[in-house]
Parts: sequence; structure tokens; C-alpha cells
Amino acid sequence: MLAFLLRRVAAAIVMLLVVGTIIFSLLVIVPGDPAELLLSTGGGSATQEAIQNLRIEMGLDKPILAQYFSFLINTAQFEFGTSIVDGSSIADAIALRLPRTLEIIGVGAVLALIVAIPVGTLAGLRGGGRFDVIASGVNALLTSIPGFVVGTLFIYFFAQVLRVLPAGGYVAFSQDPAQHLQMLVLPATTVALHLATIIFRMTRASVLEMRGHDWVRTATAKGLRRSLVVRRHILRNALGPVITVVGLQLGILLGSTVLIEFVYNWPGLSGMLVTAVEQRDYPTVRAIILTVAAIFIGINLVIDILYSLLDPRIRLK
Amino acid sequence: MTAIPVPKKTRLLPAIPRRMILPSILLAALILIPFAAPLITGADPVQISVRDRLALPSWEHWLGQDEFGRDRLARVLYGGQVSLTVAFVATTLACIFGTLLGLIGAYFRGPFEFVTTRLSDVVLCFPPILLALLVVTLFGPGAGTLVAVLSVLYFPSFARIAFSEALRVSSLDFVEASRALGTPSHRIVLGTILPNIAGPVSVQYSLTAAAAITIESGLSFLGLGVVPPAPSWGQMIRGARQFMNQDPLGILIPCVALILTIYAINFFCDRLRDTLDPKGALGGGKDETSVPVAARVTPSDETADVVASIRGLRLQLMSPGGPVDVIQDVSLTLRANQCTALVGESGSGKSLSSLALMGLLPGAIHQAGGALRLRRKSGQMVDLGTLTAKELEDVRGNDVAMIFQEPMTSLNPIHKVGAQMVEAILSHRPMPYADARTRAIDLLELVGINEPARRFDGYPHEMSGGMRQRVMIAMALTCEPRLLIADEPTTALDVTIQAEIIELLQRLRTEYADGLSLLFISHNLGIVSEIADRVAVMYSGQVVEEGPVSQVLNSPHHPYTVALLESMPSSHEELHSARGDRLRAISGTPPLPDARPSGCAFRDRCPIAIPSCADAPPPLFNSADGDRQVRCFRAPEAGSEAAR
Repeated sequence: MLAFLLRRVAAAIVMLLVVGTIIFSLLVIVPGDPAELLLSTGGGSATQEAIQNLRIEMGLDKPILAQYFSFLINTAQFEFGTSIVDGSSIADAIALRLPRTLEIIGVGAVLALIVAIPVGTLAGLRGGGRFDVIASGVNALLTSIPGFVVGTLFIYFFAQVLRVLPAGGYVAFSQDPAQHLQMLVLPATTVALHLATIIFRMTRASVLEMRGHDWVRTATAKGLRRSLVVRRHILRNALGPVITVVGLQLGILLGSTVLIEFVYNWPGLSGMLVTAVEQRDYPTVRAIILTVAAIFIGINLVIDILYSLLDPRIRLK
Repeated sequence: MTAIPVPKKTRLLPAIPRRMILPSILLAALILIPFAAPLITGADPVQISVRDRLALPSWEHWLGQDEFGRDRLARVLYGGQVSLTVAFVATTLACIFGTLLGLIGAYFRGPFEFVTTRLSDVVLCFPPILLALLVVTLFGPGAGTLVAVLSVLYFPSFARIAFSEALRVSSLDFVEASRALGTPSHRIVLGTILPNIAGPVSVQYSLTAAAAITIESGLSFLGLGVVPPAPSWGQMIRGARQFMNQDPLGILIPCVALILTIYAINFFCDRLRDTLDPKGALGGGKDETSVPVAARVTPSDETADVVASIRGLRLQLMSPGGPVDVIQDVSLTLRANQCTALVGESGSGKSLSSLALMGLLPGAIHQAGGALRLRRKSGQMVDLGTLTAKELEDVRGNDVAMIFQEPMTSLNPIHKVGAQMVEAILSHRPMPYADARTRAIDLLELVGINEPARRFDGYPHEMSGGMRQRVMIAMALTCEPRLLIADEPTTALDVTIQAEIIELLQRLRTEYADGLSLLFISHNLGIVSEIADRVAVMYSGQVVEEGPVSQVLNSPHHPYTVALLESMPSSHEELHSARGDRLRAISGTPPLPDARPSGCAFRDRCPIAIPSCADAPPPLFNSADGDRQVRCFRAPEAGSEAAR
């Protein structure tokens, strides 16, 4: 087990290094002078002096290898530098906004799991039956609605037509817990809806596969109650693949919540990212993406370990 | 089951399967309509008319006008052109490059393989939208940037699929053959491998197209995709958002267009996947097991030593062409302290008859008649068909237990062996966990497992097949059942282990479970002669001969039993390993349940058949002492019964 853990951690570190290198080299392979590129807005170009200043600020005047190593060392210490737009600390801004993003993803994921796993299990157990056909049909439709469309339609119905929930915004929990939760409902549900369609699909397929295995027949032959057979010998086995997919999706969600946060005006990482992209604030964009990729790799590591606890055979591979 | 291979019909052009017609039409319509925009409306999608801001639908403007007074119909249609073009150009580029890379990786292996497989791992680390935003930061927004980003994002997934599919295909016989014939590499890759991986790649293509539209519209919605004033759906939603309370049509129309398009692609993709890989598609919605049916008449010929009886059992397979009898009128009486063997070729109905006694028939099999009766520990004889689902759970494992053919797959791989035994004990006898554990360990020792306490905490994958089968036996014995069904328990094991398992079963019958009745299913007459007291021979869903094992095997009366005995290998070695799927002594194969000949089911293969065998199916004839039965017009019993 320890060897397995060490192997996985080592693989994750290598992955982080590769990701960092790719992000670093993007700036190098961009044709032309990055400083000039970043400062160009519309058709006009910046003054030579401004470009020269930015070059020094971003360390672009140093040799590439030196840039690379100082980039790696700084990143490892969470030193992301300052925004080229207003000179504020990027690390501080991320520390402020990241928890808000994680909040809607976390709440959304819990909601999605609570709904999608039972429904997916039921559909899988009755594969081809009426419940399955209806649930799968609804799911296929929901899968086809992009998150920002769901958000827009939610705002229209719940905030404009029914007027039961706020259209968006953010109040810190410490300031006004009730309002914070009210404002959390729509963003979290939107995240949950998207995630739930994927979890449903995976759970159903996995249960459908597991229920045909010989050990399920053995369990029934032993005289186990049906609910126990389903729980211990179908669902438990089916969860491995489901957890893997959830992990992967959580990582992808870190990116696609950008849209959902934007729709609801939720001041997570996204507002920061969208503004940074608009202003071509490359150091900020780079820092956010590195953070997200690191969390993503971290989640996958946790998932791998969880999976190995669920299925002892994995540890052998 | 022995199936006759049906030659596949080949056509010059592959016909479109019926299930693909609707999704294909829907998809084609949604793709073509935006490109037919000039035929549908003459309006200009970028023509601003401030006077008509947010105008409602009118004769000139069917869908009304947007916040700048632009014609909304024209904007939806032209916006669709932009979205679809970006998505499909990017997907096509990704598909071409990715597939090529995958093929190269699979064909040349080595460093190519490494690049192909690792590349997708790395790209997968970036949430797609973020990577797109990163590139937009550097290059600025625009349709060109989008196409570039999307194709870079998606080509690794094509590479991965093409790679793994190509690996699968290139190990197939015909590829090996053309390689051996000296066909040049590029001809093999493009001419032979590529057409064979087209299916999975096209599924990936439609998946990617849907994802690309989602990302394109998302970025345009953020204002970082298609640059205004060129219309796009994401941008229309973005623009109409501020006015949604005055003009809900503004958001609804592009939302519906977007959802419909993505849905059409997904729908197409699902159906395509089902068509290419039909095993994923499902017919009925039944749960796994079908319910036993109560008998209409109660048999009265049961003495106290009868543990279980099957009377006139008829099982039907619910097939699309109507129900087919797979078991016809099977009767069997199992007594305490007796081992009854059920023998016959694969597909003769041995396993189904025994599963019926457990109430474990697969959902597609339906009990059409007969009675399944079992003596419970209370001494009472019950009809399985009258029991509730809960009572049936109580009977299984407790009054009757079963050992299956495949020890490798019969234990759940993710639970410890001990836990799987303990749950069987606890589900029938509530007791403290520690007691159940002690009991399980004792049983493991009884079935001859070394270090039982250590094995209790082990997983099935740490054990050999023989050990797993011992565990299965221990598990079946946990609640001291009166009847143990062993369905070919040694077939999957190697020869020396087979003998050990048989010995173990023999020993347990005499030493451990006093009065245990054993139903032993096998096609191996050698093992049967060692272990069984009585034998029932099955052919094509019927019992054709039944009687004491010594009499039946020494002087068989049914020609099928004769053939079975003649096809038995002579040396001891082979005796235990023969699969018995083929009868060497007689030609032909057993008839499929829906294609039995008239009269006697065996007459086609029977060496002693006479014309009258085709007239009516033979009944079971009783021997003079009533101890033997045979289903043959030409058997001695038929004569003696007729004489009486």
C-alpha cells in the first residue's frame, strides 16, 4: 500500500512539472515579443518604454533557462508575482477568491451525488424498463444544455418570473448567513445539474454491468436480502468507475464554473480570470490556471487512493 | 449452448439501420437550416435599427428584433452558421490529426506510442475552457483562435481512441495475414485498419462536435469568442441577458437553438454507439430473477425422506418470436442422504432445472408449469411458488445452497473472503460478529484451507481456483442446508484439484452434514460414477433416463445414455478433463429448443430410431420394479409396460 501511495504521489509531481513547463513555454513559443503582444490593445501599440518596463517586470530580459527555473521555484512557493495591470498580489487575490469557487463546486457536487447515485442505480437495476427509459431520456435532454444556458434560464424563471431567489451576487457567510445561502442556491444547483447528468450516466452503466456478474448470483443464492445484495454486491462494485468520473469532472468543473460564476456574478476565480483575460494580464491568467491544474491533479490523486480502498485489486497494478 | 453459425448477409452499400433514421434526419435538418439562411430570410443579421429595439415578432421580422433592432431570425440562423462552422472545422482538424497520430503510434509503437498516450494525459489536466482562455489571452479573441484552440484541445482524445482501436484491430487475423503477405505499411494502415476503426472514431467525432459547440458558445457568451458584430448564439444570449424581463424571447430563442443542436448531436451519437455496439442496448426491463409459480395440484407421493421434488417442470424462454420451451416436463425427486447426478451435454437444461430449485432463474426464463417443492428445516414441505420474496430469501442459503461452476468469478473481488462468509451466516442467524467469525474460520478449516484465520482476512484474488471453490463450499455449508446443489463444481479447475474437490464433497456428506442431499450437475460420467447414488440423464430439456447410478451406467437403456458412455475418454487423465461438449460416438448436435424434431427429440441422431419414433414424443416408461425410468419407445421398459 505504501509503495502504491509513493508511486501515485511521484506521478502527480511529475504531472505538475509537465503542466508548469507547458504553461511556461506557451509564452516562449508565442511569435513576437510577449511584452509587446500583451500590451497591444486593438490596433494600437504601447510605447517602447512601457514594453521595456514590462519586460523587466516579467523577467523577460533574462535568459530563458533562468526564467524557467525562477518560474518553477516561485510557483512551488506560491509566489505568483503581481498583476501587470494594477500591481496587486496575485497570490492574495487567489487566496480570497478560490474558496468561493470551491464552495459552489463542493455544494453542487454533494447535491449531484445525492440525487444522481440513487436515480442512476434504480435505472441501472431496471435497465430497459419504464423508469430507466424516462430517466435516461430526461438525462439526455439535460446533458444537452450548457451550464451558462441553464444559469440564464434559471435566472429568468426563478428571479424574474417567480421572484423567489436573487438573480446573483454574493454576500459573505459571516455577514449574513441566510442571504449567503439564498444566493448560493442557484449557482450550486446549476453546477449540480450538469454534474448529476454525468454521474447518472456513469452509475447506470456501471450498475448495469455489475448486476450481471456471477458474484451477484452467489450473494442472492446465499439468501441475502435484496437490499443488501444491491448495496454490497452491485453498488459497492459499481462505485469505483463512478468515483473516477466524478473526480475527472470536478477538475473540469473548476474550469467550467467560470461560466456559471459569470452568469450569477459570483466573485470566485472566474471574475478575476475573465477580467485578466480581457486585460491580457498574462501572469494572473497563468497563476489561476496553474492553481486549477494543481487542484485537478490533487483531486485525481485523492480519487486514485479512494479507488484503491474500494477495490483492493488496483493496488497490485 | 450449441448455436449454429448464421452467415452474415453482405450488401454492396451498408443500409442505414432503422434506429439511425430519425437522429440522422434531425441532425441533418439542424445543420442545414442555418446554411439555408438566405433562402429563409432576406434580413441582414447586422443591420441596426435603433427605432425597432426589442420589437415583438411581426410579418417582416418573424422572431422580432433584438436590443439593437437587428432581425432576430437572421441572427439565429447566421449565428448558427458561425457556431457550427467553428465547431465542425475544429472537430474535423482534431479528428484528422488525432487519428493519424493514433494510427502512427499503434503501427510503429516505440516512441510514437509514448507520445500518443502521454499527450492526452497532459491535455486532460487542463480544464478545456481554461486552456481556451489561456490561448485567448495570448492571441486575442476571434473565430480563428477558437478553431485553433478547440482542435488542439480535442486531438489527443482522437489519438487515444484511434490508438487503442488500431491496436485491437491490428492483432486481428486478417491484418496479420496481409502483413505476412508483404502489403506495404501505409496500405495496411489506410486500407485495412482505418475502415475498421471508423466506428469508434465517428462516435468520438460527434461527441467532440457537441463539446466544441458548448465551448464556443460559452466563450462567446463571456465575450471572448466570436467577435461582434458577427452573430453567434452565445453572444446573443449575452446581449439579451440585460433585457430578459422586458424581452424573454431574446434569451429563449438562442437558448433553444443551442439546446436543440447539441441534443441532436448527442442523440445521433447515442444511437450510433448502440448501433455499432448492440450489446449495450437492452430489451426488457425485468429484474434479474423470475418468480417461481405455484402448482395447481399438490402432489401426495412425498415420504419423509424427500428433501426436494420437481414435478412436471416446464420453463419457457421469452424470445422475440414467442415463448420457447427450454425445459419440458422434468420431474425429479431428491432424498436425504442421497447424491443425485444430473448429466447431459451443455444446453440440455441441467443448470436451469437446478437454478429453478433456488428460485434463481434468469429474468428471460419463465416458469410455465409444474411444481418446485422443498422441505424446510421445520420439516414442512413448501411450494416455492407460494413463498413471498422475503420467505424465498430465507430459504436460499438456509434450506438449500448452491456451488457454482466458476470459482474465479463467483466471489465478489472487492470484499474479503471472511466478510462474504459472515454476511451469509448473519443473514440467517442473528449472532454477535465474533461468533460468526469463529464459525466461518472453523468452516474454512473444515474444507481444508491452511491458515484459515489469515485467509479469512484475505481477498479472493489472493487465492487459487481450487481454494476459492473450497471457500464457496464452506460458504454454502454455513447454515447447514438440507440440500446442496453443485453446478459443475470442478469443470473450471485442473485435474488434480478436481479430484480433491470431489473427495472433499464426499467427506463432507458423511462427516459434516448428516442427511445432506446433494444434487450434482456434471457432464462427466466418470466423476458421476464416483460420487452419485442416482443419475438423471437430460437431453434437450427433458429427462430421458433416470435410475440408480450403477444400473444406468452399467446397462444404459436409452440410446443417448449409451452414446454418452461410449464417448467417455478411457484414460483417467482425460476422464476428468473432458469438456463433454461434443459427443464423439454420435454425429450431429442437440436440436435448438425452437427446432426440435417431431416425436422423439433424439431421433435425428439416434442409431436405433424407427419411423414411428417421429409420430409422437415418447413418455417416460417405468421399469418393472419402478426404480428406473426411460423415455424411449425401443427401451426394454417400453416393452414391459406395454405387456402389462
